[in-house]
Amino acid sequence: MEIIKSTLSLTEKLNILADAAKYDVACTSSGSDRRGKKGFLGNSCAAGICHSFSADGRCISLLKILFSNDCIYDCKYCQSRCSNETPRATFLPEEICSLVMEFYKRNYIEGLFLSSAVCKNPVYTMEQICHTVYLLRTRFRFNGYIHVKAIPHAPAELIERTGYYADRMSINLELPTSEGLRALAPAKTRESILSPMRQIQDRISEHRMLTGKDPRLERSSANRYLSGTIFDTAPSRKLLSETPAKTSAFLPDSVRADRSFVPAGQSTQMIIGATEETDFQILSVTQALYQQFDLKRVFFSAYIPLNDEPGLPPPGTAVPLLREHRLYQADWLLRYYGFRADELLSTERPNFNPHIDPKCEWALRHLEQFPIEVHTADYASLLRVPGIGNKSALRIVKSRKSGSLTFESLKKMGVVLKRAQYFITCKGKTLYPIRLEENYLTRQLTAEQEGYTRRIGQSAHENWRQLSLFDDMGLK
Amino acid sequence: MIVFTCEDTFEAMMTCIYEAWSSKAGHKNIKLKTEPIGNLELFCEYRHTDGDMEKCRKVIRAIQQKISRRAYHMVFRCAASEHPEKLDIIYRFLLLGFYYGSRVLSMLSHPAVMAFFELDRKVSNETHLFREFTRFSSSENGVLSALIEPKSNILPLLYPSFEDRMPSENWMITDVNRRLAAVHPAADETYLTSLSADELTLIRQDYFQQDIYTDMWTGFFQNIAIKERKNPACQRTHLPLWYRKYAVEFSPDPDI
Repeated sequence: MEIIKSTLSLTEKLNILADAAKYDVACTSSGSDRRGKKGFLGNSCAAGICHSFSADGRCISLLKILFSNDCIYDCKYCQSRCSNETPRATFLPEEICSLVMEFYKRNYIEGLFLSSAVCKNPVYTMEQICHTVYLLRTRFRFNGYIHVKAIPHAPAELIERTGYYADRMSINLELPTSEGLRALAPAKTRESILSPMRQIQDRISEHRMLTGKDPRLERSSANRYLSGTIFDTAPSRKLLSETPAKTSAFLPDSVRADRSFVPAGQSTQMIIGATEETDFQILSVTQALYQQFDLKRVFFSAYIPLNDEPGLPPPGTAVPLLREHRLYQADWLLRYYGFRADELLSTERPNFNPHIDPKCEWALRHLEQFPIEVHTADYASLLRVPGIGNKSALRIVKSRKSGSLTFESLKKMGVVLKRAQYFITCKGKTLYPIRLEENYLTRQLTAEQEGYTRRIGQSAHENWRQLSLFDDMGLK
Repeated sequence: MIVFTCEDTFEAMMTCIYEAWSSKAGHKNIKLKTEPIGNLELFCEYRHTDGDMEKCRKVIRAIQQKISRRAYHMVFRCAASEHPEKLDIIYRFLLLGFYYGSRVLSMLSHPAVMAFFELDRKVSNETHLFREFTRFSSSENGVLSALIEPKSNILPLLYPSFEDRMPSENWMITDVNRRLAAVHPAADETYLTSLSADELTLIRQDYFQQDIYTDMWTGFFQNIAIKERKNPACQRTHLPLWYRKYAVEFSPDPDI
């Protein structure tokens, strides 16, 4: 094994370890706002910057690589598990640093996303990751974005040390329920995932309080106009008073004073479609993670069958891309639109309708609240109209102060009426005479979304093809 | 109808606005256009104005004080647009702005304000996309050089973000169509300069010299895609073909 590794060139290593990292979802460079410094390379922009888009349409913002794919674990869903025969490689910390610096200078990337398989043992792996980001920030004077994965079972001291050099940390939840985790990833436990998550959360809020901020992360600024969002109904945790022992840090004050701890917050990801969870369960877990762990983002990853394992969908099964898409839509509704998981789904209706987006689905079940009048409705109810998002709602609220609105001027302002037209009135009139009736509206809305859902769900229908009279009907 | 014309520079445009305003010909009877003027219209009097720093300053000060600084930033961005009617759009917005003050920025349903905001959005979006998709290549002496071909004149809006991003590197960004370059020496301030045709040819030659990191980036780019999720339509939406011209990862085969 050692002989093979030492003969790999940097290019080959990069190819192997980028390929192994591609199933990690998060490639965002958002959440940190940091100006550039003389003598250093890089800055960080709160909105995040994508630098390219790969053939699957996902953004490339960070150099997303594994430190090593030489794993000791045997998780059933994973490509890098030890029982698979794939080429293995491990970077040296300096190699990663020079790649980041050179790519960053050429404007290819916004920073580094460093994850790893568990190489030798969790302690060694985390040590190497920590050393890499330490080098990058100190010797290489890199000031751009760094996203680091925490390794389950890694010692708390290493996780904390890493956090002072990273912008964002994340630890993968892998599967929405602990039963799923036990079945598919026997080496990991729920506890080994949640305890570092809690530790990072505590450190973040402690650091935020020391710098005079609210212990909880900032959310979309428009949320302050909403009431009853998942963030203000979250049970508050008394941090310092309850757990005084835990706040004593491993690092001396001198190191901690001039560095911020994970300023962009932490995130997690879970696999969708490998186990039997319903959308309602997944969304409830998501909401709980936002509320109790103050995560910045929860990512979903549609399960791609890589290994032939009993109990898992066999290779060749369609990837549930549309389902993943619906969950992301719902995730946005939680974070930006003031919805709660139990408003969108319930134990009786545990899954999203593939033909219609979650917000439309909700509106169709609550037709008693519509149509709403754009001149008088408040921001919160405008936001609940399908097709109207944050920007449109703010523009409406702003511009109606200085004059009345028409459907024509709404369009010109950039409000898309395709779906909204069924749910709003302008001076008491709808755009066209329409019946506000569930079946009629459902037909209208599904017809409009059909092309769109078909494109996303394409791989689910790969057995569809053009009818041929010669082949299918036996005509010669 | 009197048509006030001027060169396509910020200073000349502001002067043109000054002249149009003070001509007292009645706002309905005048139009503003940037040169070159294509077809001349009948029954129009064309008046050329030259840039004048003093008048330009007066207009800028008026916008900042009577409307707001944000409005001035927007005017500056709109002036970078390639829209043939941009100067008239800016003028119509300023007429309203001088009347209503900073309130004009929330009168989104007024046609003149809408047109102005749309122009501003276009230029800001284009600037942002070039912030993402500009690619530098590194020459042997460590100077980073990038080429862009934007539709609007966004280089003056673009370079400050790179100034912040790479304060201690030597780099330059060249707008190929306008032969304009932003040059940043590691230890000094960034400056804008225009290039001769020969200089541009030299810079182009240098740009296409690839090094090992270009190859590694292309390799990374291909490996990071999940083939089970291939979605070229989505890729094109986010990264239109128009922007791929100098993006090295696309050069060998634009379909990948």
